[in-house]
Amino acid sequence: MPPNEFDPQVLNRLATNRTSRRRFIGGGAAAAAALAMGGSVLAACSSDNKSATGTTSTQEGPASGTLRISNWPLYMADGFVADFQKATGITVDYKEDFNDNEQWFAKVKEPLSRKQDIGADLAVPTTFMAIRLHGLGWLNELGDIPNKKNIRQDLLEASVDPGRKFSAPYMSGMVGLAYNRAATKRDITKIDDLWDPAFKGRVSLFSDAQDGLGMIMMSQGNSVENSSMETVQKAIDLVKEQKEKGQIRRFTGNDYADDLASGNVAIAQAYSGDVVQLQADNPDLQFVVPESGGTTFVDTMVIPYTTQNQKAAEAWINYVYDRANYAKLIAHTQYVPVLSDMTEELNKIDPKLASNQLINPSKETLAKLKGWPGLTDEQTKQYNDAYAAVTGG
Amino acid sequence: MILPALVYLGIFFVVPFYSLARTSLSSSGGSVYLPTLEFNWDFGNYLEAFSHYQDQIVRSFGYAITATVLCLLLAFPLAYVIAFKAGRYKNLILGLVILPFFVTFLIRTIAWKTILADDGWVVGALNAAGLLPSEGRLLSTSWAVIGGLTYNWIIFMILPLYVSLEKIDPRLIEASKDLYSSNRRSFAKVILPLSMPGVLAGSLLVFIPASGDFINADYLGSTQTTMIGNVIQKQFLVVKDYPAAAALSMVLMLIILVGVLLYTRALGTEDLV
Repeated sequence: MPPNEFDPQVLNRLATNRTSRRRFIGGGAAAAAALAMGGSVLAACSSDNKSATGTTSTQEGPASGTLRISNWPLYMADGFVADFQKATGITVDYKEDFNDNEQWFAKVKEPLSRKQDIGADLAVPTTFMAIRLHGLGWLNELGDIPNKKNIRQDLLEASVDPGRKFSAPYMSGMVGLAYNRAATKRDITKIDDLWDPAFKGRVSLFSDAQDGLGMIMMSQGNSVENSSMETVQKAIDLVKEQKEKGQIRRFTGNDYADDLASGNVAIAQAYSGDVVQLQADNPDLQFVVPESGGTTFVDTMVIPYTTQNQKAAEAWINYVYDRANYAKLIAHTQYVPVLSDMTEELNKIDPKLASNQLINPSKETLAKLKGWPGLTDEQTKQYNDAYAAVTGG
Repeated sequence: MILPALVYLGIFFVVPFYSLARTSLSSSGGSVYLPTLEFNWDFGNYLEAFSHYQDQIVRSFGYAITATVLCLLLAFPLAYVIAFKAGRYKNLILGLVILPFFVTFLIRTIAWKTILADDGWVVGALNAAGLLPSEGRLLSTSWAVIGGLTYNWIIFMILPLYVSLEKIDPRLIEASKDLYSSNRRSFAKVILPLSMPGVLAGSLLVFIPASGDFINADYLGSTQTTMIGNVIQKQFLVVKDYPAAAALSMVLMLIILVGVLLYTRALGTEDLV
């Protein structure tokens, strides 16, 4: 019998509603967006032409056929897929089945290790996962993508993938603190505010090691850019101490949003885009990058080596990287653009977008943000396991 | 005739159980992300399960036992009324008991989060009446988790109790009255003993799933009310340490088995299991 016979996805069904940073939050706006989203998915489905599959990556000439995309829920703009189909003649089978990096990995690692199709020609893992897949040799290199020149310089030259040879940034965002001003009755500016006895049992932290520990390490004077088990452990020890004091209510994935909006949680570790969406319904919610700094994440488009349509995947990335197209995505997801010089295109949609500090952070904010570098497999596992011992028990 | 049942048991119980037991005695090696499991009678997984997670194990069974007792206390009077006093409303009341369970378990649990929210009127009213301890909240406490378990599983107590009470011949109760037995005495000597099969079945149906539950602790609890189910879930899906998760599952199963055997023996209705 092969190892790992259990299908974690089946177990996972029982634990739905966990850990999707993009899980949509809030009321009316969300419903409207969901409807809009449904529309574009339907559009994609109705023109889905199954007979066109089987186009291989070696095919010459312009891209055609079907492109199967696996993306996070509600990480897409209304009509975007339909416009792409119209512009390129490629049929898109767009699925929102990417809900959590680790759980997605648990699902695809068996087929990918045997080089079997995973039902997607393009997926959108977070950077650390893209690096892991690349390290395992499971990604194709990106071919000719003219609009790649539009990528922000810092991302284009990022040490994790200089020149963006295998991972194409899709969205970036900030990991910081969100607080409910009505519950805290004061402004929150630093990590120490999390441990204020006034908020006992009303703080939530991320269970993800990088997102959860990064800002805490920075508050302890350590850096995420050259982390060690020692500095990570120091942050874990602090979290453990606070957990035992009863300070921490929950370790969350994306499900922090409901508790925050309802006031059960006063301060939560949070992702910037979520908070912009939540503010529409609850103006008391604020997002802040702690004084000692916060971290960033970048989700990237990658092409698995089992892709059946490399050319169409590249055409998709190129289409996304057109600034006018990309502005539509940002207007919907409200995350930080991965393309440079977006102000003009954003202004065309809504002048408020470009001036929103969470979409277009100021120089001072940017200076406080740091990104985790690519960690070795052993490091990631060590950090994850050490933190899971605190969050899981 | 029982062949389909045997095949079913074989496929859905024996094979997974064998696989689980085997995994729990394996150790993982090889690369970090594609570990290979090697079967080598590694009992260290069990040792680790006990030493690292004894708090959660104790807590799980404490919660499950409390919830079972609460279910029994709440369900018995209700089942009694339905069986003996409801008259022509019997089916209506039974229907009402079952009705909430048409809504999915997850939604019902999350609904409690809204009802018991810290800023909600329930907590507000209780606080105003001075009925809550210092922290002034219900959610994220042990009692919220126990309450969730009781609420979610109580139907499995009500139905077996109702069935066993309903089967009692009313003439037996009348006979006890004719022999000058007080109400209390005929309850203790006639009704309760005859309803024991229902008590037993209901307790098992509540206790077993409640001890392995993780949804209630996840949504209604805090970081200090985690149950063994939460640990197993995390080990399987996040840490991906399958041997440790399998060992924990086996421990859970064994403790439940021993508990159930002791319980059935104590109730003297072994032949019913």
